Amino acid sequence: MPYDKPLPKLNSDNLPFWEGCRQHQLRFQQCSDCGHVRWPPSDFCPQCHSNHTTRLVSKGIGRIYTFAVYRVAYHPGFTADLPYTVAVVALDEGPHMLTNIIECRTDRLRCDMPVEVVWENVDEKTTLPKFRPVFSDKA
Amino acid sequence: MDFSGDDAVFGHFGATGGYALAARRAMHEFGTGPETWKKIAVGQRKWANLNPAAMMHDKPLTEADYDKARWVVEPFRLPDNCLITDGGRAVIITSLERARDLKQPPAVIMGIGQHNPSTVIAQSDWMAGPTGAGQAGQTALAMADITINDVDACQIYDCFTYTVEITLQDYGFFKPGQGGDWFDGGTIEPGGRMPVNTSGGLLSEAYFMGLTPIAEGVMQIMGRCGDRQLGPSTRTKSPEIIMCSDNGGILQSHACILLRRL
Repeated sequence: MPYDKPLPKLNSDNLPFWEGCRQHQLRFQQCSDCGHVRWPPSDFCPQCHSNHTTRLVSKGIGRIYTFAVYRVAYHPGFTADLPYTVAVVALDEGPHMLTNIIECRTDRLRCDMPVEVVWENVDEKTTLPKFRPVFSDKA
Repeated sequence: MDFSGDDAVFGHFGATGGYALAARRAMHEFGTGPETWKKIAVGQRKWANLNPAAMMHDKPLTEADYDKARWVVEPFRLPDNCLITDGGRAVIITSLERARDLKQPPAVIMGIGQHNPSTVIAQSDWMAGPTGAGQAGQTALAMADITINDVDACQIYDCFTYTVEITLQDYGFFKPGQGGDWFDGGTIEPGGRMPVNTSGGLLSEAYFMGLTPIAEGVMQIMGRCGDRQLGPSTRTKSPEIIMCSDNGGILQSHACILLRRL
């Protein structure tokens, strides 16, 4: 079945991020002056306004800051996924990422639950970073 | 709404999902949830049942109805969501000097406050508040030189039930997590000690953005609200001062306005 969900809109700001995803790396900008790791990408650090940046590769570990369980598909591509979970994951390095939580029953989800990145290869150009719970018996 | 990057890639669309994320974090941090929100949905519906202009005028809503309602985006059920409305509403503003000579009694603006704490809500680590209501409310009360205890009724921007709770909480009507007790016993309903959204609000009257609450505040002060008029007929206090709110984004911007009888 062809992939019928929206795809990332690439631009010069987010291209390094999505190229990193293809290689199964979560790449963020880190301010060379104050150390702030930022998301979304931008030319200037939102904390200190410096334009000096280095690349940081996240370990892909974090916690669910918050989540919402969709029971309605606002786009036909998601109908077969219902119910599905949209979450904000707080990565250990600092950034909050909007993503999906997969491989977990929706009634087991909790805020602050530890999660790890899992890669969904959509096509040769696109890989999506999603997250799944890290249960203590696996850790 | 304003989540960065490519929300749609992950199936995140519109305001219900965004506020659901905020409400879920609030459930985690201070223990609110549908048991609190249903009192808001049901209480406002009782006001709508007194308002012939309300879209939900003829549709009573009980707590059992709320419990049975379908999910939209958890933790929100259908009655947690505002209506979708075509229409319009307006408020005319003039100087107090001119208003004194008009046929209709005016509602006087006694204080305003705005606070806009964030542009990228997903990056906030305070999604459960305080929202801009905290500072905006204080600014408006200070300008009016009153305290929250002087407020007789509220018209709160209620895009979702939870928005009413977090706004009243950040204004200082109750402490975080005490909303469940505060709303209990019909506090905001006809006959209640702090009437809220007396037209039915965005949830049960009509969605005219911030003009639903402000226009109702003005109308109540003017005494033009018919069967739902605050005062003896609805077993409530005749309003001297009404507190109104508006907010935008996913609780990212906030405006508060205090109205009083001349």
